[in-house]
Amino acid sequence: MTQPPKELTQWLQDHLFDAVPMATAVIDTQFNLVYANAAFERMFGDWRGMKCYKIYKGRKTKCLQCHGAKAFEDGKQTVSEEIGYNKEGVLTRYIKHTIPVVNEAGRIPYLIEMSTDITETEQIRREYQLLFEQVPCSVLIIDKHYRIVKTNERARKMLGDLEGRHCYSGLKGIDTKCKECTARKTFEDGKMHTGYHVWRNQKGETLHHHVVTVPVRMTDGAFDMVMEMAVDVTQTLELQSGLEFAHEFLETIISTSMDGIFAVDTHGNVNMCNPAARKFFAIRPEERLMRNELESILPPGFLDRALNGPQHVYLPETAIVDAAGCQRPVRLVGHRLSIDERSIGAAFSIQDLSELKELENAKLEAERLAAVGQTVAGLAHGVKNLTTALEGGMYMLSTGIEKGNLDRIQKGMTMLDRNTQRISMFVKAFLTFAKGREIRARMNDPAEIAKEVIEMYGPKADELGIQLDLDLPAPVSSAAIDYELHHKGTGWNRSGTSDDQKNHSGAWRRHQGAIQTGKRNDFPYQPSPQAPAQSGGGCR
Amino acid sequence: MEKKVIVIEDEKDVLTYLMAVLEDQGLQAETLDRNAALAEGVASARPDLILLDVMMPERSGVSIYEELRTTPGLKDIPVIIISGFSPDGDSMSVNFQQMLSDPSLPLPDGFIEKPMNLDLLITMVHDTLGATDDHKD
Repeated sequence: MTQPPKELTQWLQDHLFDAVPMATAVIDTQFNLVYANAAFERMFGDWRGMKCYKIYKGRKTKCLQCHGAKAFEDGKQTVSEEIGYNKEGVLTRYIKHTIPVVNEAGRIPYLIEMSTDITETEQIRREYQLLFEQVPCSVLIIDKHYRIVKTNERARKMLGDLEGRHCYSGLKGIDTKCKECTARKTFEDGKMHTGYHVWRNQKGETLHHHVVTVPVRMTDGAFDMVMEMAVDVTQTLELQSGLEFAHEFLETIISTSMDGIFAVDTHGNVNMCNPAARKFFAIRPEERLMRNELESILPPGFLDRALNGPQHVYLPETAIVDAAGCQRPVRLVGHRLSIDERSIGAAFSIQDLSELKELENAKLEAERLAAVGQTVAGLAHGVKNLTTALEGGMYMLSTGIEKGNLDRIQKGMTMLDRNTQRISMFVKAFLTFAKGREIRARMNDPAEIAKEVIEMYGPKADELGIQLDLDLPAPVSSAAIDYELHHKGTGWNRSGTSDDQKNHSGAWRRHQGAIQTGKRNDFPYQPSPQAPAQSGGGCR
Repeated sequence: MEKKVIVIEDEKDVLTYLMAVLEDQGLQAETLDRNAALAEGVASARPDLILLDVMMPERSGVSIYEELRTTPGLKDIPVIIISGFSPDGDSMSVNFQQMLSDPSLPLPDGFIEKPMNLDLLITMVHDTLGATDDHKD
């Protein structure tokens, strides 16, 4: 054996023990620490006069699994992973090499124990293991033969036990490598690659994965395994598909809507969402409408109310100024848009009521003409009867004179007189009818009006064989009623009832009729634009 | 024997006028009790002719005509319609037929529009009564 130089031998003898970076101690057969180096003292503290189990583990007695005792017995070196306490009393992991010191007699008086602190390394290893297992994606380690050598917990849960299987077989159920293999690209160039793959789980369900492959390199940079990290994007794709459908659906509805749809954001940008809106405001696709321009078109304050109001604004019938400067009847709805209470603008829909108004006017005109026609026909009939009666009076008068029949002359005179008066009344009625009148609502008791009608029509009804009753099931409070019109209306109803009472053979039978008072909320009337406003916009 | 004519007319003065004209023509003119059933009234009066107004408030002349034409024993009694109702355009007969609920019913024997042409009325009454006599003969 080659002897080292003398000066080296001297250095080794004097300094090696303390120069060793591992915590090194010498233990005798009674487990006393007889010597230790500086590294040991830095790791475990003052060792002098202490037993090994005390300094390493803080125990009062020998360890149950004592590697030192075994080495004293068999004289073999051992390496063990230990857990003890450092000089601060902190739990420490360390690798301990136990080396028996054999003397010339072959006995073992001492053991040399060299410990390396692996607490931090172990901690890092555990953290990486935790990361590997719990990372929210499937992780597979694939060797160069495309066998899966390791999987994390998520992969096992989602895809089953795949370790030992070829990736293409385990993930796709095919016998040959995939045409587009992301792992192969990484094996070929050692770089990170991404890809999209459709896998099947154990239940046969289709899973869509976004895949990233990276080489698992050794310290020298070489690698023969690839780590494949796969994120399940199945739900994302489904959501994406749903969103695309919803977008397409809404886009179609909006673009084909007859109503104009537009939006204004908080910066005042106006977006015409569909052709109907652009047509409404006479805006070409390449043109933009500014907020102030829009405000001048819409009813005053409407835009502000929609953008800043607590809820949607609905104007069922209003008017805007169109591109030609003309008033155009429209229906407007504005909805405030917000995300987490934060306003992002407002969306609007506008419906053109021009055609509706034209139809409404045409209908009103038709009804007016029909009413006029009916009235004129009725008047003509009345006039004809009057004329006939006048002619009758003249006939009676002239034939009475011819025959010297005083009775006939008298009848003729009476007929002429009566029908002349009827003409006068007729003309007055024409004038009243022509003037028309507005509704004059005042607080009145409906029951009182009904009582008056009963009193007025009672005798006539009795004459016709009809018994009129007044039915007041519950008190009705006074209401805003046009007394005169209500009186007439109730009376007309009674006279109509009288007509209905005639049976088919033409004879009158005794019938009962009733006027009943009560309250209904479905009988609105709309005051004319010229009429004074009623509270609540109308009167019941 | 005097021919009997029933006048159904709501206007009292027109009724008086028509009855006077008919009496002056040597005819027996009557009207019906409004409280009596129509069919019974006509059946008991046994008229040779009925002059019937159309627009009456209690019951229209069209309805009365339909009842007359569908009641056995009454359906052959001649009826002349007297009315102020004359919608524009079509003749009274066409308008009257359109008002019938059963268009297959025969049309009245004559139409006179108010105000009446007295000569035309008298001629129509005599012609209708004469035709009835011819028919009976």
